[in-house]
Amino acid sequence: MKRISIKITGAQGQGINSVGELLAKGLKRAGYCVFGYREYMSLIKGGHSSYQLDVSDEDVRSTETEADILVCLDHYGLARDVGSVKSGGILLHQTPQWSFPPAMQERLQDKGVQVLYLPSEEILRSLKAKPILGNILVTAAVWRLLRHPADGLKELVRKQFGKKGKEVLEQNFACIDEGFKYVGQERDRVVLPPPNVQWKECLLLTGSQAMGLGIVHAGCRLYAGYPMTPSSPLLSFVADVQNETGMVVKQAEDEITAAQMMSGAMHMGTRAVTATSGGGFDLMTETASLNAEIENPAVFIVAQRPGPATGLPTWTAQGDLLLAVGSAHGEFARIVLAVSDAADCFSLMPEAFNLAEEWQTPVIVLTDKQIAEALFTQAPFGLPKTECRRGKLVVDPRKLARLRSDDRYDPHAKNGVSLRWLPGTKAATYCAQGDEHSADGTVDESAENMRLQMEKRMRKVEAIRKALPEPELYGGSSFQLFGVREDVSCDILLVSWGSNKGVILDALSELTTNYSLPTTHYLHYTYLWPLKTERLEKLMKKAKKIVLVEQNHQGQLGMLLKMQCGIDIPHKILKYDGRPFFIDEVTQRLIPFLQAKKLKS
Amino acid sequence: MKEYHCANQCTWCDGCGDYGIWTAIKRALSELGIAPWQALLCYDIGCHGNMSDKLLGYRFHGLHGRVIPFAAGAKLANMRVPVLAFGGDGATFSEGVGHLVHALRSNYPLTFILHNNGNYGLTTGQASAVTWQGQPMNASPNGIPEHTLNSMDFIFSLEPTFVARTFSGDIPHMTRIFKAAIEHQRHGFAFVDVLQACPTYNRFATHRYLLERCYDANAEGHDAGHFQKARARAMDTDKRIACGVLYQRTDIPNFYDRLVPRQGKTTMLVEEVDVVDIRALLKPFL
Repeated sequence: MKRISIKITGAQGQGINSVGELLAKGLKRAGYCVFGYREYMSLIKGGHSSYQLDVSDEDVRSTETEADILVCLDHYGLARDVGSVKSGGILLHQTPQWSFPPAMQERLQDKGVQVLYLPSEEILRSLKAKPILGNILVTAAVWRLLRHPADGLKELVRKQFGKKGKEVLEQNFACIDEGFKYVGQERDRVVLPPPNVQWKECLLLTGSQAMGLGIVHAGCRLYAGYPMTPSSPLLSFVADVQNETGMVVKQAEDEITAAQMMSGAMHMGTRAVTATSGGGFDLMTETASLNAEIENPAVFIVAQRPGPATGLPTWTAQGDLLLAVGSAHGEFARIVLAVSDAADCFSLMPEAFNLAEEWQTPVIVLTDKQIAEALFTQAPFGLPKTECRRGKLVVDPRKLARLRSDDRYDPHAKNGVSLRWLPGTKAATYCAQGDEHSADGTVDESAENMRLQMEKRMRKVEAIRKALPEPELYGGSSFQLFGVREDVSCDILLVSWGSNKGVILDALSELTTNYSLPTTHYLHYTYLWPLKTERLEKLMKKAKKIVLVEQNHQGQLGMLLKMQCGIDIPHKILKYDGRPFFIDEVTQRLIPFLQAKKLKS
Repeated sequence: MKEYHCANQCTWCDGCGDYGIWTAIKRALSELGIAPWQALLCYDIGCHGNMSDKLLGYRFHGLHGRVIPFAAGAKLANMRVPVLAFGGDGATFSEGVGHLVHALRSNYPLTFILHNNGNYGLTTGQASAVTWQGQPMNASPNGIPEHTLNSMDFIFSLEPTFVARTFSGDIPHMTRIFKAAIEHQRHGFAFVDVLQACPTYNRFATHRYLLERCYDANAEGHDAGHFQKARARAMDTDKRIACGVLYQRTDIPNFYDRLVPRQGKTTMLVEEVDVVDIRALLKPFL
């Protein structure tokens, strides 16, 4: 598989995102799979940020540490990021009269890096164009380096800025022509493989946008949130489409409010959601516990970033798995699941609501900064299969008429799930009681009742564990998804969850192409609590080695597995520096575990 | 009123103001023709919250300080259901004071009934933000060092659309006020301050104290449409305490009616739960 990477760096607010998004869209429409990755600091302007696109004609779901083309919009990035160009790559910059220190100059020469200067200021001045058009100029230069015809870019610009009038459009086109002129004579250094039309029809969107679409698709009608990176882009997206969706979107006064509004709306009988990051979820946990006691469906989205405390607000982590599993006081059933990419973000949201309603208990959906803000090339979401399952919700008037108040929390209900019906429906009434209660919601402090109601609610745990899907197994020549009955023996089993899926599968493909490997499979946990271990236990009997991959310090999934079934995974690839796993990094760290041998090319 | 009758026995202290409030709320709902299945009554934590299983109707008993946002979320999901939220002065002016601020400025279509007995009764008589300064209480034997919150000044500073005050010893008056506050729900947030006796822990604003001072301002020709006059009258509690509907305006739309996406919608959020075709939203991503 041939992949290339383009990295744009500069000061925040300088247009990195515009260049990145324009290039990404252009490349996707030209028939490439694009994976976009953003790094930025927790401030509005200034600071240093980057936007990287990894591009291929085949599926690409990860980022490389070094780029084939590095574009530096400012001199700070030029000095700082110069080391991240690959051998034989290109460095494009727009800083006049720039020269590297001699040692660096030599290193660049040794690496065969070509340094190109784009005199943007001069060109813009001669065109009498506004500084913002520098973004178009840079985009055009990169477009030319990739040997794409100008027409494609012009078409894209026409669609994007056509509404701003003829004059603006013509200035844009002039910039494209100039950008092309400046790099016109360079030889082909960075060559893309031939395009594949399958990507043209795909969507290019962030995990947050996919998750927002999933929420809308699920029939969720109220979103209550409080801004906190990296959950904020989800709030923004859902808010941006509210006039089309008719949803109620409430920016609440704090996370507790957001969680309570979601709970109230769910109790009344609609579907509602709240989203936050770890710190905000800390504030929501008392509400999670309340929902468990009143057996109210609830959906919390937790977008992870490094902690403790404010940690690194704009960077990524998987440090909140134990928080999700162990949060909130008292013992109760909760479901924890984690998305891994845009496809999951969309398709698991309806499932999260279904599970919340079927089991009448909190569902916590884990995502992270990497998923929330990465750009995915995603096949258009398949719509017909989605179900809306509402569990034991009674809505039929005849059935409602037969209900008794003490059906609501009937302690003898199968699997602990009793009938649920909604305020405002003509039936016997009950109290959704946060104190320990008897079957109709009457406060009951007796030992007998406490025991019965605890057992009722906790029966859900085992029943949920049985009902949830096993982790997914990927293997075979192209690391495709295996069916549950297809389990075959493997030498090495990798175990992970969340956003690591894409980079692990990309690394395994890369290793298979260039190395001789033992049979290696990847076991991906989507449903993390209650934890299923049967498939893992079966696979590990045959596997020679199991390797845990996580973005946290303790190997939290490993800890849960050990707690749940006594399995100890001694081999771990852990990362906790706020950066996601990069493909070359995972490849290098896997090699010793796999004892992979490089094939002769 | 008997449709709200519940077999569970009340557990409040003898002489507690909650008995009167409990009776008046059942009477108000009943007189408005609201059947128990038609309403949602949301309770905070405190002595008042022990009402949650002493009457019928759909009820909710939640977390300390958090009843307002839960009730607001519930109401927004189904505007056809009258939603009443009850809270004590401890929860409302301390733990959950932020929610009160935003409920007022949001003008949520809710009725909020404050059980104001000037202390934390259920946790055995600690001072709340409205306990008189200098009054010895559990956990503050020297009296509280903080200033007493001027609750009515605070409420009026947030530009409410409905403010009323009543007294737990006057069931007919409470019934009238509760009915007006429930009817105000379609216009927005109705705040009802119920001055309530706590015979066990409140030795300063006793039943007798309140009985002697409370008067019906509406009967004395109070103009509930005049913001400044209402505010001044509400805050002046030195000699007499003005009760009744002290302030009301109906010309500001409630929160739900201000929401652009809900304009012209005839269905409620609870009726809209189904798989939604999102294909029209995919265009920007192609």
